[in-house]
Parts: sequence; C-alpha cells; structure tokens
Amino acid sequence: MLHLIKYRLLSTMRDRTSMFWALAFPIILATLFFFAFDGIGTDSLEDIHAAVVMEDEENANFMTFLDQMQEGDSALIQYEEMSEPQALEKLKDREVLGIYYVKETPTLTVGGSGLEESILQSLLESYNRNASIIKNVLETNPGALSQTIESMSDYQNLVEEVSINGKEINGTFQYFLALIAMACLYGAFLGFTTALELKANLSALALRRSVTPTSRLQLILVDLMVTFFIHFINILIFLIYLRYVLKIDFGDDIGRIILVCFVGCLIGVALGIFVGSLGRMKEGGKIGIILLVTMGCSFGAGLMMADIKNIIDQNCPVINRINPAALISDAFYCMSIYDNPQRYMQDVVTLAVMAAALVIAAFLVVRRERYDSI
Amino acid sequence: MIKIENLVKRYGELLALDHLNLEIHEGEVFGLLGPNGSGKTTAINCILALLKYDKGSIKVFGQEMTPDSYEAKRQIGIVPQNVAVFNEMNVQENIDYFCGLYIRDNEQRKQLVQEAISFVGLEDYKKMRPKQLSGGLLRRLNIACGIAHKPRLIFMDEPTVAVDPQSRNKILEGIQKLNENGSTIIYTSHYMEEVEQICTRIAIIDHGRSVAIGTKEELKKMIKTGETVTIENVIFQPENLAEIKELPHVFNLKYEEATITIQYSGGKHNLIRVLNYLQQQEISFGRVFSELPTLNDVFLEITGKELRD
Repeated sequence: MLHLIKYRLLSTMRDRTSMFWALAFPIILATLFFFAFDGIGTDSLEDIHAAVVMEDEENANFMTFLDQMQEGDSALIQYEEMSEPQALEKLKDREVLGIYYVKETPTLTVGGSGLEESILQSLLESYNRNASIIKNVLETNPGALSQTIESMSDYQNLVEEVSINGKEINGTFQYFLALIAMACLYGAFLGFTTALELKANLSALALRRSVTPTSRLQLILVDLMVTFFIHFINILIFLIYLRYVLKIDFGDDIGRIILVCFVGCLIGVALGIFVGSLGRMKEGGKIGIILLVTMGCSFGAGLMMADIKNIIDQNCPVINRINPAALISDAFYCMSIYDNPQRYMQDVVTLAVMAAALVIAAFLVVRRERYDSI
Repeated sequence: MIKIENLVKRYGELLALDHLNLEIHEGEVFGLLGPNGSGKTTAINCILALLKYDKGSIKVFGQEMTPDSYEAKRQIGIVPQNVAVFNEMNVQENIDYFCGLYIRDNEQRKQLVQEAISFVGLEDYKKMRPKQLSGGLLRRLNIACGIAHKPRLIFMDEPTVAVDPQSRNKILEGIQKLNENGSTIIYTSHYMEEVEQICTRIAIIDHGRSVAIGTKEELKKMIKTGETVTIENVIFQPENLAEIKELPHVFNLKYEEATITIQYSGGKHNLIRVLNYLQQQEISFGRVFSELPTLNDVFLEITGKELRD
C-alpha cells in the first residue's frame, strides 16, 4: 500500500500539466485579478476644472462656497477666474468642463454631459437651494461655513457599502471567491489523469496495471485518495497565497474554510475521473468537456462577471443550487460577508451530497474489470 | 499452461476471434503470427481476462482465467504493444513500481529491480525519465517493467515495433534468455523473421482463426513450396520455359521482365539442375538466388495473401 501511495504521489506531483491547471493556473489568475482590480472601488475622482467668470463682484458668498469646494482632502473642483472669451475657449478645448457665471443667482455653462459636468451642476444647485442659509452663516459665523456645507452635503451622495457583520467588502471580492471555486473544480485535471491510468481500455499503462495481482479496489482507492490529497494541499496553498500574499480576507474560521475546500476538492477530482472514464472519446475531447464544465460553473459563480450569480439567483435560482462553483463561492460568502451559518451549512451539505454522488459515479465507472473492447 | 477452446469474440458485426483453439505448453516460446488486425492482441486480452468474449473457454495454469485470478496473475508478466510506463518516473522508479505490484518484500524487490535493469542493459539510464530515452531503450524499459518479478508466463505483444535493428537484436536475445531461465513466452508479431528466429512453436492467425500451428519446420512442410530459384537477366524462348517446367520437382514458374522464378515442391540439387540446363542451351544469365520457404510463403499459400497485406 505504501509503495503504491509513494509512487502515486510522485507521479502526480511530477505531472506538470495537471499540476499547472490544478495549482499554478489559479495562482496566476488570482495574481492577474489582483493587479487588474487594484484600486477599483477606491479611486477618487480627480478635481474637476472649472472656469469662473465674474459678472457680479458682490456675490462673495458664492465665491466663498467655491473656495470651500476646492479646499481640503475632499476637494471636488479647481477653478480659475478668467474672462468669458477665455473661458469659452478653454471650454471648447476641454481644459475646463464648465463655466460658473458669478452673479446674484449664479449660472453654469457646461460643454458635455458626463459625471464631472453633473457634479458641477449639483454644486450649483446645492448652492442655489441653500443660498440663504450660507448667506446667514457668513454674516453671523463665517468660521462655521465649512461645517455648514458638510452638513448639507447633498452635492455628494456617498453610499458606503458595508456587510452585515461589519466586515469590509468590495466589488472584486466575488471574483476571488469564484476563483477559489474554479481552483477546487480544476482538480478535475488530476482526476482525469488518474482515470486514464485506471481504465484498461483507455491506456496501455492502465492495461498493464490491470493484469497485476494487486486488487483493482486497492489501486482505485489509492489513486483516489492520493489525487484528492494532493489537490486538497493545492487548494490550501492557493488559499494561503490569497490570504497572505494578495491579502484577500475571507474570514478567520479555518475549520469552515477547510470543510468547504474539502468537499470542493472531492467534487473536482471525482468530476475528472468521471469524465475521463466516459466512453472512448479522444483525450482532447474529454479535456474540452472538463474545461467547459469547470469554466461554465465558474462563470455562473461570477468568475468573469460578478453580477451573474445574482442575475441567475433572480431568474433561475435552481442553477445556483446545483452549480458546485456557485455553492463553494456562496459558502465562502456566508462565512465572510453574510455571517449566515444556516445558509453555509445548506451549501456544504449540498456540496457533500454532490461530491458523494460524483465519487460513487466515478468509482462505478472505473471499477469495471472486463471490457467489450480495448 | 494455456488452453483456449472455441474462443469467439465479436466487436459488433466484426468477428475478431472465430472459434480460436490454442494450446501452449510450459517452456515454449510460442509465436502468434498474423497480419495487423488478425486477432493476436484480442486473443491476448481475452486470455488476460481484460476482454469479455462471446463463447469458448480459457484456462491458464489449469484454472479458468477471471479478473480475480490473482494467484495466476502473480505468475504472469505482460509487455504491451504500446509502451506502458509512467512518464513522470525514471527508469528505476518505473521498474520498482511495477515490480512492487507483484513483490511486497522490499529487499527482494530491490534485488529484482537491479537484475531487470541489468538484463535489459539500462544500467546507464536508470535515473533517466522515459522522455529522455530513445525508442529502443524505451522498449527495453517496457520489457523490464513486465519481467522484473520473474514471471513464469510472459506475454509479449509486438515488443519490437519501431525499434532499430541493434535494439531489436538485443530484445530478441533477451527473450531467448528469459526462456532459457524457465519462462514460457507468448510472442505476437507480424515480423515473420523474428518469429522464425525465436519461437519454438508458431500459430498463424488470420481473421481470428488459427490457420496453422506447429514448429517452423512443420509449418513449412505444410506447403507445397520447398525451394524457390530466381534467375535474373535471362532470355527464354517459350520452348525453354516448357522444358524447365518439365524438370524434376518444378510445380510452378513465373517469367516476366527477363526474370524467372521457379518453385520446387522439394527434392535436392534443383539449382544445379536448372543451371546445367542453361549451360547446355548456351543461355546467358545474371544473378541467381535460391531460397528455402519462409513463414510468409506458408502464410501466402495457406491464406492466399501476403503476411504484411
């Protein structure tokens, strides 16, 4: 038994192609994701350049308001006083995005209809709506203007996304969870190789192993166990990489993380054995099926489009309940974001049932001892 | 050692083995000779209980062979037609792995692995991976993996396919040595020269049937052709051909493009007799060959087609 385990470990770990897909590829993809998403959701808008044309020198209140808008860390605009022809020229050249005309009731001319122009418009509307308050504050307590503006900041609708359990999340988190799910399912590549070496009608190597006095059951069990073990280690390495190198935080509940990965790996490896053992399709065709299934499931879990999982949930929720990748990512979500142990358990139980079904199916297809043709 | 009776195997409509009967005795190098697709590999896979068959019985070591015949399998070695080794393991690891499927004892196995490496001459390559080996060395590794546990019965399915002549000779010598050491060998090939060289008994297989069985001498006696004489660059008149056909033991001749091929049913001094005739008739001639019948002649005469068709 030890002899079999030793050599199965060696051969699987040295199989560069399978190990690439099962370990290196998810790590590479995670790194690419990390750099591609770097800064998304944290970028602040650059200051918006605006021109100011003085038409009524006496509206000092509006000028004070604009000064407030270009000061401090949360400055929104940068303005410059100039003549109207100059301002129009700059607007034409997109050097400024809007022109404020300072008069008793200030007005704005913009050169486009983008986000920046909307902000300039919002600022003006904000001032006009609250002009009397600002005027009053300036007259009675000019030092409080800054606080006043902040308190009425309807120029800025800031919605901060927070999780129920208070943990910080951002829009890219979902991609990494889908990636973990994909990595689990990529154990199919290891399982696939194992299937080729177990079924005498698929390879000469399997044929040679089939005519030895070592029982078939023993060969199958060793191959399944070792392949699963290696893939499980792969996933743990991947998680460590995500957690400690890329600093992706998916919670501290190690036990529950390991449990999800355990069943996820089982599903991946068993899927590979099952597909590998099906019929006499060429190796390339079977790899194609594995890629199609694993990538399809991962897509459904939000690997390429974070919202897809929600869209499926709204339109055909049953798909998410049978998609192993969606279940794996959902289980992680339950731990990290929702803090929903009940839903987590539901995901894990579904995954465990699917894993058991796939392992049994895989076992049934590889245990066969006599073939119709070789 | 092996007894096959009325073995029938169908692949759908195709009859792969058609009431095949064979009996292989201990100590033989038994050749299964036949063209590609004649049913040699199918027969082996049935014997090894890998393939289901439709009818008949197979007994190995006196027992019905089933997938659970572990005691019988312990005494069997197999060298498959396609190289069957792990690409991720080196030569020594591969041999050790397969030997370990038969031999549990570490010390015994270690010794057997070294012996197998020496036997196939891979001492200088034992740390190399299969991808680093040439075709001939790879075939030798394939053999080593099948014989390291010193089996009593060895199946070798075309072990010299795509092998250079030097490696082929080494392999054939090795097979004879294995036989001398007590192993019974079942050797399939479509190379008649190899079968003729090493096999003590031969079964000619065609369309899943055994069309002839015997030693090579016995097989050659089964056909009419005893000797074939070929003379090149010779010009004959029709009356010359008629006179040659009347020479003793001549049963067939073919004359085309100034080359005559004369087949004799047996007898002695056939070549001298025809050369004397040419001298008497003052007919000049080029190169002259005399060939005794080959297994290809046997196959040709029995099946009506060439062995490599």
